[in-house]
Amino acid sequence: MNRLLRVLWGILSSRALPPLVLGFFLLLYIGIAFFFDETLIMLMAITRRIPLLAALLALLPLNGVCRMILEAGRYLKRRQALSGAVVPPELYDETLLLSAPGGFSQLEGRLSAQGYATRGSGHHLAAWQGVTLFPARLLYLAGMFCLFAGILISLVSRGVSRQAVVEGAPFPTAAGNGGMVEKIIFEKAAGPILARNLFIKVADSGMGEGEQTFRLYPPALFRGAFVYPRYLGISLAYRFFAPDQGGVVENRAVLPLYPPGKEASTVIAGTPYRLTLSLAKPEDGSDPYMTGKTLFLFKLLKGDELVLTGSVPGGGEFVRDGYRLAIPDARRMVITDFVVDYGVLLIWGAGLLFAAAFILWLPVRIFFPLREMLFRSQGELLQACSRAEGGGRRHAGVFHEALDLLELSKSGVKAEE
Amino acid sequence: MQLVFKLIPQLIAWTVMVLLLLRGMPGRRGAVLISAVTGFSLGVAGYLLLSRLFPVTLPLGIIRSAVGGSFFLLWSVAVAALYRSTVRDFPLLRVERLVGTIYCAWGAPLLTGMVAGGIGASGLPRLDNSVLQLLAPLLLLLAGALLVLGARSAEQRLTSSLGVTPSAFLAALVALLLFSSSSSILLDLFAPLSMKVMKGTHDFVHQFMESILIPDHVFIRSAIWGYIGFLFGKEVGFWGGMVIWFTPALLIALAIRLEPLPSVAHIRQGAQRRRLLADAIRTKQYRLVIPALALVALAAAAYQSSFPNVEYWDPKPLAVTATPAGEIFIPRKGEVELEDGRLHKYLYKQGGKEVRFFVLLTPAGKLTVDLDACAICKPDGYGQSEGMVLCYYCKTLIPLDTVGKPGGCNPVPVPFTERGDGVHLDALTLVNSWSRTVQSTTSSKGGK
Repeated sequence: MNRLLRVLWGILSSRALPPLVLGFFLLLYIGIAFFFDETLIMLMAITRRIPLLAALLALLPLNGVCRMILEAGRYLKRRQALSGAVVPPELYDETLLLSAPGGFSQLEGRLSAQGYATRGSGHHLAAWQGVTLFPARLLYLAGMFCLFAGILISLVSRGVSRQAVVEGAPFPTAAGNGGMVEKIIFEKAAGPILARNLFIKVADSGMGEGEQTFRLYPPALFRGAFVYPRYLGISLAYRFFAPDQGGVVENRAVLPLYPPGKEASTVIAGTPYRLTLSLAKPEDGSDPYMTGKTLFLFKLLKGDELVLTGSVPGGGEFVRDGYRLAIPDARRMVITDFVVDYGVLLIWGAGLLFAAAFILWLPVRIFFPLREMLFRSQGELLQACSRAEGGGRRHAGVFHEALDLLELSKSGVKAEE
Repeated sequence: MQLVFKLIPQLIAWTVMVLLLLRGMPGRRGAVLISAVTGFSLGVAGYLLLSRLFPVTLPLGIIRSAVGGSFFLLWSVAVAALYRSTVRDFPLLRVERLVGTIYCAWGAPLLTGMVAGGIGASGLPRLDNSVLQLLAPLLLLLAGALLVLGARSAEQRLTSSLGVTPSAFLAALVALLLFSSSSSILLDLFAPLSMKVMKGTHDFVHQFMESILIPDHVFIRSAIWGYIGFLFGKEVGFWGGMVIWFTPALLIALAIRLEPLPSVAHIRQGAQRRRLLADAIRTKQYRLVIPALALVALAAAAYQSSFPNVEYWDPKPLAVTATPAGEIFIPRKGEVELEDGRLHKYLYKQGGKEVRFFVLLTPAGKLTVDLDACAICKPDGYGQSEGMVLCYYCKTLIPLDTVGKPGGCNPVPVPFTERGDGVHLDALTLVNSWSRTVQSTTSSKGGK
């Protein structure tokens, strides 16, 4: 049982595991690409549906955790070794056994002169220079965990419901008890990334949520779902009369008409007519969605035949050749995805952790990488260890000279197998 | 004479491959030489036989799969080599123990020779003269065998310091195979790779943005969106393809560079330590020569792929007009013969719009009418080569029997009516189809 656990631990904490798993998924992606155009979407769907693939993907965050535990353990053991504890040889780049020298005082002086901090007693001497990369490494591994855990959670649990959020209508919820959408504000933004800002102001629904304002980014949570605005449009009421039809048709349509010039069409129910609408670009360069002053350009088609073209302002009417088209009501509308996906939080967290790891790693690796050596007497023998996280060649030279210095007082060298 | 010039790159690559095989397995030169010649002969004969018995796409597909498979193998080996270089005392894997054995000495040259022979045979032209038709492969076989002997002679003159690690050996072999295959547009892998990278990047970026709920382009500054839009461009496909193309050889070079130097801590003479380390460093530097050679071969392959020396059938589009009822008619016989198996291009102008389309008789004997554009690339059009049409924009090859089917980089099919006198199609449908296609492929987000 213990052996099995050791093997399992060895696999889960192996550095080879992530490239193997990612390589497998890459091969799967390439295989799918031979048969489907939407390769990535298909790969995601397959991973979602086949538990074995999801389990394989789960090895990645698991590996991140195992690596953190393993590397934290190694770091602590190295810290203990600096204080004179038993030195595990596999934690160092080079380890040798020599015959014990008379003392470390001369060596300590030499290493101090070369800029190494030292700590020692009669039986051991530790010398080091620079700062360890371990915190950066830990942040990186935590980032890996968050990233792949986030992807996994997102893949297997993401739920999206697309709804139209309309000004003056209840905020769409499954139970139908959302507060009234008081205002949709679309305005220019001064930030470096967003050119325009969007605010959806929702009145108190009586469910204890109070008044709420939903923004673009980061998207706010509403009853467990992220409110993710996708496209803008207009919800309009229209009244239509055609001379060859019996009566007036009144209806509402929700059309993704933004930006101005973008066309969307709706079938006029109970008639053979179809209406294609777009927002006109105001001559003063203003944005009709921001100002609320809308002028609709329309094409009226009967089957594939173009019957009529013209324009009608929001709240106005168009009349020609017996046809009448009125738009008495036009309101701002936002096509919004309600996304239930807690993996997103982990993916955002991963981005922050990676950024922090990189900011920490870069200066330390370039300017102050940790270089350490350790000498510990064990009876007649001396164990000498060396390790460097950067600048290894120079450090190895200092280490070898230190060994030469110890050799001057004692002879008899034995390399450890 | 033209044949000789055309095959020179493949034959040079074959010579260097044999030289590498000899250097990689120094104790088994006899086996390497015999199996290399045998493999090359089998490759030539096998290609010719299969191309006579089956459609030429079968042997070409086998060669492409073999070269593509070797590239995957190279990637795996490169990652493993890098991993190994950072771990001390990594035990030899069972597969690695095969390197240097008699199995490897027979198997590797045989397989390499078969692929190289197949690539060479695919470059042989179809000749009308039956004597020349027989003579060309024989000359190719003779050249292949003679070059094996030449490679042996050259290898003996090389300095013994020029060592080859197993991973570098594989990198150079695969790079040379890729170089050989890139000389034929039908076997080239770089252009399809770029295309896949372009599509993959597009999908990934789109999916990533949706996954972490990033707002759509309506809300983002145009300058920022310009950077994002760059990820959807052709250049990303090319440079992404280059990264995938070169990375295995670079990883192997890096693995050699990162190999730990031998431990000299047990030596108490500083001069001896320094000499040992200097020797080890020099050996590592020599070992970098072969990955460097692989990089050169890969660069040459990418160049050949980007600037192929091939001519396509690409007729100037003939202008057509529509009847007052909006119908375009193309006669079956007349200025052009619609059923001659060649691509016939037409140009229809309406208002300010120009629509290019073509009519083609597929190998199944059916006429098809398609836009001279696909649903994903910019509308640079198509050219025809043997058994294929080629998208000029992304250089994807489309077998003739799939032309007329929608999807991917296939030309967009246009509805039409085939009658006894010829082909009839609706001008409005044609213009709408062109507008939809061009609009979706030239927008910043959708176009490649």
